[in-house]
Amino acid sequence: MEREAAITVKGLHITYRGIKKFSIKRSFFKLKKGQREIFEAVRGISFEVEKGKILGIIGKNGSGKSTTLRALAGIFSPDKGVIDLHGNSVSLLSIGVGFQTKLTGKENIYLSGMLLGFSEEEIKKKEKEIIEFAEIGDFINRPVKTYSSGMYSKLAFAITAVLETDIMLIDEVLSVGDVKFKEKSYNKMKELINDDNRTVVIVSHSLSTLKELCDEVLWLHNGQIKMQGKPEEVLAEYEKFMKKK
Amino acid sequence: MKKFINNLKRYYKYAIYSAKADLKAEVAGSYLNWLWWVLDPLCFMLIYMFIAQVVFRSKVAYFPVFVFVGLTAWDYFNKNVTASVKIVKNNRAIVSKIYIPKYILILQKSFVLLFKMFISWILVVILMFIFKVPISLNVFWFIPIMVTLYLITFGICTILMHFGIFIEDLANIVQILLKLTFYLTGIFYQISRIPKPYSSILLKLNPIAFIIDSFRKTLIYQTHPAYFYLGFWFVVGVLLTTIGISIIHKYENSYAKVI
Repeated sequence: MEREAAITVKGLHITYRGIKKFSIKRSFFKLKKGQREIFEAVRGISFEVEKGKILGIIGKNGSGKSTTLRALAGIFSPDKGVIDLHGNSVSLLSIGVGFQTKLTGKENIYLSGMLLGFSEEEIKKKEKEIIEFAEIGDFINRPVKTYSSGMYSKLAFAITAVLETDIMLIDEVLSVGDVKFKEKSYNKMKELINDDNRTVVIVSHSLSTLKELCDEVLWLHNGQIKMQGKPEEVLAEYEKFMKKK
Repeated sequence: MKKFINNLKRYYKYAIYSAKADLKAEVAGSYLNWLWWVLDPLCFMLIYMFIAQVVFRSKVAYFPVFVFVGLTAWDYFNKNVTASVKIVKNNRAIVSKIYIPKYILILQKSFVLLFKMFISWILVVILMFIFKVPISLNVFWFIPIMVTLYLITFGICTILMHFGIFIEDLANIVQILLKLTFYLTGIFYQISRIPKPYSSILLKLNPIAFIIDSFRKTLIYQTHPAYFYLGFWFVVGVLLTTIGISIIHKYENSYAKVI
């Protein structure tokens, strides 16, 4: 059965260069043109994710995983190449975006949710579910600055996990809170992922997580695709590769 | 331009909500709570009234009102501009994690400051009653002048925000320029006290001086503002905003890489 693609990436290049900050003093004293530092984080990767599939991205530190993810989320624009999300809404599952720590947890649910592009009514509908999921009890009505770091991330995770977008991008956030909550969020992840309409891209170093959750794994090495395919095969190769060093 | 309107539609609710949140956070935990929104301008008003009446012995009619009108408009402009230079960096947590049109940050800030200015205007009205300032229909010019002030400020802020990201010490330069503008705007004195050719040049070249002068003319002295210049600065405001928005649209995706 032919399924439609949710994400299409073609020849994606992302470079950090030239546009470094400068101060006036520095540019006065350095009249000759300094060498522009060019760093290519992602050099020409192409892939496609079908709707409802889960793609895992693996690779050692600095291989361009997070950069790719942020490009997908629309934070960076590609320097070359195309990212086509086929009109799907996208969110980067990240911890505590736009929290105002002096306000209560409840108010922050709205703040964060609206930043993610949801309307007030939509959030109102999901509010209860978020509060239940976060399981921080009465603290929901207290200022966020009184939270422990665990509660903080639990609330943040709950917001992004319950307010669902078509495409979810996950950057190593499966290890939030205590053991019990970790299990719960892991199960929630699985539940989200099993939804046929949701496309997920996960960046992780945990081989077991990827093995269990993903339909396909992409192995990035120095900004290029080293291998792409079934999780078992790619992960086995990756493990071998990492051990050799 | 279409993109701008679409983005506004999509995000203005967030801007309002977040502005409210900012205001709430500002007073949360302080003893006098929201009273500060009133106390703050009130205290400044008393200080300036003291300086004006006792120290300068000014002979301008309705001087306290005169000063306070100037300060209200100036404060709004000053605070917006100061904030916009560093606004992306200060919202780093948001900008590096999610896509948001960057001028929404300015919009949000301007809502916060508009609210504060609103309170300040109420105090102006009260002052006008106390000093029995005569009122004419010209007070309705208040609205177009306000719109012009908003547009000029917003335009300048968008452009400064863009350069503020790449030039680290822009904040210092802007501070100095603002100080200079403050004294060239005639907040404590009538700008016409500056010797002749310069005063009219200033009124024509300094939009804030012109706007404050117009506020005073309509609110205190029952005349109308200079129509031509009001229209002129309105157009300039629209232009600045358009330029700022298009610069931001073009470059905003590289912001996250720099900060």
